[in-house]
Amino acid sequence: MKRAGAAQRLPEPPEGEPGARGAATRAARRTALALAVAALAALPWIGNTVLVQFGISVLLLATLAQGWNIIGGYTGYPSFGNSVFYGLGAYGVAIAMVQYELPFWVGMLLGLGLGVAFAGLLGLAVLRLKGHHFAICTLGLALVMTAIVSNLEIAGGNIGLVLPLLRSEVLFYELALGLAVLATLTVLWLSRSRFGLGLIAIRENEEGAAVMGVNTTFYKVIAFMLSAAFTALAGGIYAYHITYIDPVGVFDVVLNVKMIIMAVFGGPGSVLGPVVGALILSATAEVLAARLTGAASLFFGIVIVVAVVFMPRGIAHLVRHIGPAGWRYFIDNVRTHRL
Amino acid sequence: MENILEASGLTKRFHGLVAVHDVSVQLRRGEILGLIGPNGAGKTTLVDMVNGTLEPNAGDLVFEGRSVRGLPAYRRAHLGIGRTFQIMKPFPGMSVLENASIGALFGTNGGERSIGRAREQARECLAFVGLGRRIAQRADALGGPDRKRLELARALAMRPRLLLLDEVMAGLNHVEIEEVIEDIKKVRDQGISILVIEHVMKAITSLSDRVFVLHHGEKIVEGSCGEVLRDPRVVEAYLGRRRR
Ligand SMILES: Nc1ncnc2c1ncn2[C@@H]1O[C@H](COP(=O)(O)OP(=O)(O)O)[C@@H](O)[C@H]1O
Ligand SMILES: [Mg+2]
Repeated sequence: MKRAGAAQRLPEPPEGEPGARGAATRAARRTALALAVAALAALPWIGNTVLVQFGISVLLLATLAQGWNIIGGYTGYPSFGNSVFYGLGAYGVAIAMVQYELPFWVGMLLGLGLGVAFAGLLGLAVLRLKGHHFAICTLGLALVMTAIVSNLEIAGGNIGLVLPLLRSEVLFYELALGLAVLATLTVLWLSRSRFGLGLIAIRENEEGAAVMGVNTTFYKVIAFMLSAAFTALAGGIYAYHITYIDPVGVFDVVLNVKMIIMAVFGGPGSVLGPVVGALILSATAEVLAARLTGAASLFFGIVIVVAVVFMPRGIAHLVRHIGPAGWRYFIDNVRTHRL
Repeated sequence: MENILEASGLTKRFHGLVAVHDVSVQLRRGEILGLIGPNGAGKTTLVDMVNGTLEPNAGDLVFEGRSVRGLPAYRRAHLGIGRTFQIMKPFPGMSVLENASIGALFGTNGGERSIGRAREQARECLAFVGLGRRIAQRADALGGPDRKRLELARALAMRPRLLLLDEVMAGLNHVEIEEVIEDIKKVRDQGISILVIEHVMKAITSLSDRVFVLHHGEKIVEGSCGEVLRDPRVVEAYLGRRRR
């Protein structure tokens, strides 16, 4: 049975290794991840400002890719509406801080509420559409939202809003890190919970899932709201950090495309794939921009095309299945996908 | 309560075509009811209406004493209606074990809350249908007969009270058919009521307590195996078709 390549993945082996060895590996992996997070948290005190800036950007993108992973990777619904949640999160913070002089965290809550509520309503309306129809419908909505916000006085119209300046890169960095970790832990939970298995069943065969007792509408809407929650919070941090937002900038469909590319490149439906995807692609883009300026986006495009051809199921799948004869994996991919 | 399922006057139209017309049928608790009829008779459509995959245009459906008409498929699954699909609907990217675990996790009464217990239940059902050694494989790596077995195991893992089997033996060889027949008998012995759609006559005759026949969307006869298979209308429905 052939399915849209993007959402394909191998689930974790059902058992893991049984017994003490499995537990030991798991403990080791957990320790390694905890150390990695600790090292990341310490980065602002060791690295320079350029690195911290880059870190903020990567961590926000990782959160976005992870948010998209929940609805696109796990549930199998390729959302183009996530940039709307991002924009709502950004405007939540901006409106609260600029128009009402409320503290940042209240703005975050406002943005979160707007994003999640909007996802709930949108989800009920459009999550009954499948595949391309869903994609196109959410895309249309993203464009409509830009137009609406451009005409809202409270949102500063199409001029946008200027937020109060906070010169604390460390704070933004740690916030972005915390959010990315939270998003990843949520996805980790999805990968091994009843709820997450329900989402995967929906992705793999929605009608089959319903017949076996999965309340598909409810599961999809909750997944969409969860996806929106992380996306909106990332938008809120972004707005305060960048200090100036306008509708075209934060309701940007290109950002949605980026989320998808990073999640798919890393491995949709995996736990760490989207984070790794965000890191590698951001680093690649950064290096290319420094070296090639003009032709950077061309080369970036080539990198992505090559990646999709040789590893259509993402890095997470590559790492798990490459085996000893490395090149074989790539050739097989090209063959099975008839590229 | 004598009947586990009572369908009355079920009708389903697809645009101009009447796929099922005014069909009434009862299924007694603990019995195996055979449903036969030529291709296109409306058998699958009837099952679709029972489990909620399709909504009838007219008629009522009472399961264990309450009307389930209009209830979405997942709610009927929670009430204890499980089914297999003639055109199978596995979760291709999941392992065989996870496929069946979904049934255990979400089936009757909303399923098991604990993944561990659900896996155990799924494993039992897979062993029961003879897939015990394939649990770690991806569902889309299975061959035809094993896919049929998986379809059955997934429905069983739901712990259904009523099981609707839509041509689970199609494409199986004689030995495999015998095995499935024995499996279905054991399932019935656990007290599960069963509706079997089958073209394999041997299966129908050795399993069914009663048989009913659909032809062009209408019920033409209902009764014991012997009666039904000797009925001239049934002979005509089948032979009339075969001669073409
Ligand atoms: N979704 C559908 N749309 C239109 N026609 C359908 C649909 N499903 C079934 N039919 C038609 O309804 C009739 C009964 O089909 P079906 O219930 O599958 O028969 P059976 O299972 O007895 O072979 C057939 O003529 C078939 O073409
Ligand atoms: Mg059929």
